[in-house]
Amino acid sequence: MKPDGRLTLIAQLRDLQIVDAEGMHCGIVDDVALAGKPGGVLRIEALLVGPGGYAKRLPGWCRALVRLVAGNGCVKVPWREVESITSVVKLRHEAAALGLDRGEARARRWLPAIGALK
Amino acid sequence: MRITELALGILTAVGGFVDVSELVFMSQAGSRFGYALIWVVVISTIGIMVFGEMSGRVAAIAKQPVFNLMRHRLGLKLGLIVLIASFLANLITCAAEIGGVALVLRLMTGAPYRLMALVATLLFIASVWVLPFKWIERSYGLLGLFMLVFVAALVAIHPPWAALAGGALPHVPAGLSHRDLLAFGYFAVALISAVMFPYETYFYSSGAIEDKWGPKDLGINRLTAIVGFALGSLLAISLLAISAQMFGPAGISPDLVGTPALQAAVPFGTIGLLLALLGMFFAISGAAIETCLANAYSLCQFFGWRWGRHQPPRNAPRFTLTWLAVFAAALVIVLTGVEPIQLAEYAVVASILVLPLTYLPLLLLAGDRHFMQAYANGALAKTLGWGFYALIIVAAVAALPLYLLTSGGAL
Repeated sequence: MKPDGRLTLIAQLRDLQIVDAEGMHCGIVDDVALAGKPGGVLRIEALLVGPGGYAKRLPGWCRALVRLVAGNGCVKVPWREVESITSVVKLRHEAAALGLDRGEARARRWLPAIGALK
Repeated sequence: MRITELALGILTAVGGFVDVSELVFMSQAGSRFGYALIWVVVISTIGIMVFGEMSGRVAAIAKQPVFNLMRHRLGLKLGLIVLIASFLANLITCAAEIGGVALVLRLMTGAPYRLMALVATLLFIASVWVLPFKWIERSYGLLGLFMLVFVAALVAIHPPWAALAGGALPHVPAGLSHRDLLAFGYFAVALISAVMFPYETYFYSSGAIEDKWGPKDLGINRLTAIVGFALGSLLAISLLAISAQMFGPAGISPDLVGTPALQAAVPFGTIGLLLALLGMFFAISGAAIETCLANAYSLCQFFGWRWGRHQPPRNAPRFTLTWLAVFAAALVIVLTGVEPIQLAEYAVVASILVLPLTYLPLLLLAGDRHFMQAYANGALAKTLGWGFYALIIVAAVAALPLYLLTSGGAL
């Protein structure tokens, strides 16, 4: 599937793994932002990535729990950044340039700088 | 080179087949029902071969591990329920494995159980942090081959081979009381769960991606799943059969994790005991690491984070923090003093409840030609897959009532 082709079902896109230009995992398509007016053409404007993107798809009690544990952050990835859609959504640029590496960067601060064997 | 890879893969699967739940339930089942439950082990082994092969094939072709697919196929809500349930089941299993290793270390050194649990956990953390994925998998899997001493012990005690082979034919022993019939059902379900633990497919498919499998690796995948699991199953059946001959007639119920080690001590003396304890140590340690990593894989894959030990720990920080937290939580459970046998019982019951949800998306995806193209399930894989899926559902429905009615097989 190409990003400029017709997406007949949002379900084909939602919950797919996102990888950046370097092939690094950088989130899941938690939801999509649509643009358009009634009677007009509906277009996908952006991919929504993060707890703020998927929390509203959950039951109320679970939503509150997610907000408590994971917060309400959500990164909007413009649709033009999507290069291809297969079993993953591939982006044109690196995760850091799109704000998709903040969670990993926060977690890295907790880890000691001890190396490992290759 | 490919033959070496294949041999190592198969040997690793054999050495890594047995974990603390199998040790406990194989020995108890043999002691209580003789050879009568061997057929359940045989059928479950074919089941794990089918689903293991499928998860490796999906990983090699769709390049997606189980939990990525689960969320996409089942949707966010159902996927989240599966994630939470399997996470808890794996956590309990990991705690049972750490407790099992601590008991083996206590038998070998005489040091306090809780101290040994702490030492074991620190050893696992150091192993996972420092060693690359293949080394972790291979070192514990290959050293787990010390467990082959149980196969040698079975041959050495000259079992009644005809009766043993008869146990492989599906049957329920005649003349069982109502109470024994319920216990037989409970042990059958527990053995299915112990052989087909969900973490095995999470770990297997994630491992296939860590090892960068592609279509050229499908032969290795098939042979590893079939030959490796079959030989591993022989090891498990040896535990059951020795127990049937050695403990059953003497009225001994092997209720301690260390008891199976005596199965090798009787024919081979101190050397047998030492080899058995070493085999148990490495096999259970491997399972502890696999269950812990399976949880880290599943959480990270569900949320799309970086994961894997093919990269340094700081390059996949959320994955690293997750497995560190899982080891810490499992250790806390062990330090509360819950018996490892009790944890193993909870683990098999919790795992069988999760199994149907784990294998459904795998079955759907392995049969999906959009993702799998020419490598989608054929007629045989479909028939076997859905057949075993039906068996798992029956076992999952029966598990909790049987556990409660038999007080965990104690009746």
